[in-house]
Amino acid sequence: MDRIPAPMDRIPILRMGDLLLVTIQVDMHDRLASALQDDLTGKIAEVSAKGVLIDISSLDIVDSFIGRMLANTSAMARVLGAEAVVVGMQPAVAITLVELGVNLSGVHTALDVEKGVEMLRNRIGFPERDDTDVRF
Amino acid sequence: MYQQSREEVIRRQQEEMLELSTPVVQIWEGILALPLIGTLDSARTSVMMETLLQKIVETRSELAIIDITGVPTVDTLVAQHLLKTVAAARLMGADCLISGIRPQIAQTMVHLQIDLSEVTTKATLAEALRFALKRSGRPTQSKDSRE
Repeated sequence: MDRIPAPMDRIPILRMGDLLLVTIQVDMHDRLASALQDDLTGKIAEVSAKGVLIDISSLDIVDSFIGRMLANTSAMARVLGAEAVVVGMQPAVAITLVELGVNLSGVHTALDVEKGVEMLRNRIGFPERDDTDVRF
Repeated sequence: MYQQSREEVIRRQQEEMLELSTPVVQIWEGILALPLIGTLDSARTSVMMETLLQKIVETRSELAIIDITGVPTVDTLVAQHLLKTVAAARLMGADCLISGIRPQIAQTMVHLQIDLSEVTTKATLAEALRFALKRSGRPTQSKDSRE
């Protein structure tokens, strides 16, 4: 019998108009990472999201797995027509990724969510006004 | 007795100098400067780099200028630390420039085959500041150099 994943097993995706926000707070393992990619790509397609913010400000250690996960997720979003930006990377994490030689050349980054939104807006513009009118 | 206290004075001054040479200064909104002074060793450079990255987060600065006017020589190890810092800052969402590169050091770096293609370098701090101000003065322009 299939076990239905408990909410804790999946990372929540928040929506802000045409942007999606994901906050990674726990250790990512294989299953969690692929669940996130499933959920995220599904959501991007479902709401025609134009931008994705991946907040990693809670991560204080990383490994090459997470580095690749971030690169892959960004690439998947782009294929679906959304720009992704990774925000809030801590200094120790950045140094680790550099030392590990992880290739993150396709990944946009910003210091925090606010600057991430600014960067996305510069790239994707603002949504056209309609009566729901959510502007960030 | 005189010898001992003289040595103590020298030691204390060296410690003070060490602390003095690591300040990260905010020279403009969103622009930090780290003037490095003296001969750099691996450990010191490492500490100063961490301090810079930490300050980038604290002040939410998107530009940092590492000025090495006061550094007489740069060897491979120090250069690697500098490049590592630039790469780490970029990963975090900020950009680092290196300024104050003296002609002698420019020659040394090229001879050592240090790859500076990913780094913006300027001869003087003033040039670096001008560049930084130009960069941050156009909010409508896409800041996607962090690709």
